[in-house]
Amino acid sequence: MYKKNKILALTAIIFAAFFIASCVATDVKINVAAPTEENFQTPSVTLDYVDVAHYWGWWYFSKKVKPTMGTQGDYGAPLDLAFIFNVQNPNPYPVKMDSIKFTIGFEDFDLNTVENKETQWIPAGKTNQVRVHAMFDGRQSLLSLLVTGGFKLQAKGLGTGAGAALKQLGQWWETIPGFEFPIHVKQGAAIFSTEEGIIKVTAFEKTYP
Amino acid sequence: MLKKKWQKFFILIVSITFIFGSSSAFAEDMIHIGALNDMTGATSDVGKDYALGLSEAIHYVNDMGGINGKKVKLYQFDYGYRIPEALTKYKLFKRLDCKAILGWGTGDTEALSPTVTRDKIPFVSASYSGHLASADKTPYNLFSGTDYSSNARATLTAWFDIKWKNHPDFGKRKPRLTCSYMSSSPYCSAPIKAIKDQAEILGFEIGNDQSVSLFAIDTKSQILAMKKFKPDVIWHGNTTMSVAATIKDAYAMGLGATHLINVWGFDKNLIKLAGASANGTMGATVCAFLGEENIPLMDKVLEYANKYNPGIPIEKRLIRTVQAWGNVMVLWEAMKRADKAGDLSGESILKNGFETLENFEVGLGISPVTYTATDHRPGKTITVYEINDGKFQLVQKVDLAKRWSDKWDSWLGW
Repeated sequence: MYKKNKILALTAIIFAAFFIASCVATDVKINVAAPTEENFQTPSVTLDYVDVAHYWGWWYFSKKVKPTMGTQGDYGAPLDLAFIFNVQNPNPYPVKMDSIKFTIGFEDFDLNTVENKETQWIPAGKTNQVRVHAMFDGRQSLLSLLVTGGFKLQAKGLGTGAGAALKQLGQWWETIPGFEFPIHVKQGAAIFSTEEGIIKVTAFEKTYP
Repeated sequence: MLKKKWQKFFILIVSITFIFGSSSAFAEDMIHIGALNDMTGATSDVGKDYALGLSEAIHYVNDMGGINGKKVKLYQFDYGYRIPEALTKYKLFKRLDCKAILGWGTGDTEALSPTVTRDKIPFVSASYSGHLASADKTPYNLFSGTDYSSNARATLTAWFDIKWKNHPDFGKRKPRLTCSYMSSSPYCSAPIKAIKDQAEILGFEIGNDQSVSLFAIDTKSQILAMKKFKPDVIWHGNTTMSVAATIKDAYAMGLGATHLINVWGFDKNLIKLAGASANGTMGATVCAFLGEENIPLMDKVLEYANKYNPGIPIEKRLIRTVQAWGNVMVLWEAMKRADKAGDLSGESILKNGFETLENFEVGLGISPVTYTATDHRPGKTITVYEINDGKFQLVQKVDLAKRWSDKWDSWLGW
């Protein structure tokens, strides 16, 4: 019985020692650089490059066309772009990136807005790389162009209606492997927080290439 | 014996401290809410601003203590205004145990309505379709602003009260109304029956509908057809771009009618796209315009927009942000009440939450909100604005329930 109690007591002491050690470690870290509203420097977010992550070329067929299998409908080629960012933490303590969000414009047309809410910690003074995918659906992009970009298409001399919008989409989808037109990352916002809940937001934008 | 007891007590305390002190899982007690938004599709010109507003409002909710101390985690997705994707994301929300969903358009909201009713998940959307306000048919569909049908009735009434009575033909003939909209769009067609009914009540002559696509930027043929009927007012049921195209063509071709515009076609972008031809147009809104002064909570809307989306100047933000806040605020209040009642199930959020709100002041220029067990039209007083010199000016508040108290109940579900 005495031996059993001794083992239990020893186990408890080991657990307690671990716990105290972790607390001490945290305290030491906090004493070195406790995050405050004043000393929390906003991390930088820089677009490194854009990658055509998956490519199917350009095609569009309307619901008048009978597919070999599956449901008849209006379908346009998808386009999967990946945006790779360098996120640099200038602080002497780790910070968490809560989300990153930005709008993507092909030339003067805003076509997509993406947000990544998967969190990650960036070590003190280090740079993480973040990959954010943006899926462009041909049909969806067509409707977006038609409802919101009709006047701009007309001003660009491409004409009006679905024909003009499809022509524009085809040009973009076919020339994107060589990045022959500017892709704008705009209205970007990345939210960062510390363990203590202090929040900072970084705004960013860049045109690629 | 006493020594042994102390030893056991010591072990227990140390173990509990260790386990609870080092595990963040016990510290997080998050309530999940889903959000379906269009940031890339056919309604992204307004959908993106609305989506930003939702996210900012949830940050505010969490800063204010969340749902009685429990933080909210928002699962927000772009569905590109595609119903199959909306249905797929809805299934994800269920797997994530979302207690409520913040939805978007009329098409997907109406498509999901039987499912959310079956699953008893409150679905607070930006579709203000009057069809969704009947608690008997769609009990879990909710929204904070006045519905499209009431808005249409009120806008026509305001025009009749203010403009028609000063018209040289007043008392000599009936005023004439034409509706211009894309009939295949659920949003566009939602209030048509109501506005025509209101036109009959007010003694209008009603012309043939003009079919205008949401994609239209040339509407001269429709304007020519309208000219034959010589309307005094035109109801526009579409969204901003095609409405701007129609009123520009009407201006250029000297149609001479007043344009009344539904909620999603009446914002700053209309002034930008239509220029001078936007002057004199009228529309009902479900809340105040972004940045409007002396509006409760507007300071927070602006503060959170600046804080969380500093890359977008306030001048580029729209009334859609305020609409999003309105929906989040009513959902927040309903969830707090349900949680306080000890039950955060969908049924409780509806019964102990929404349906206990009576003349609840949301702020943001939203009509005081009441939901009953049968009637989910949240407001009765509709604010009508007119664009003058490129600015929105409040012209009249129309209390439909007071003015047509004998008819108000029968208009439910229109």
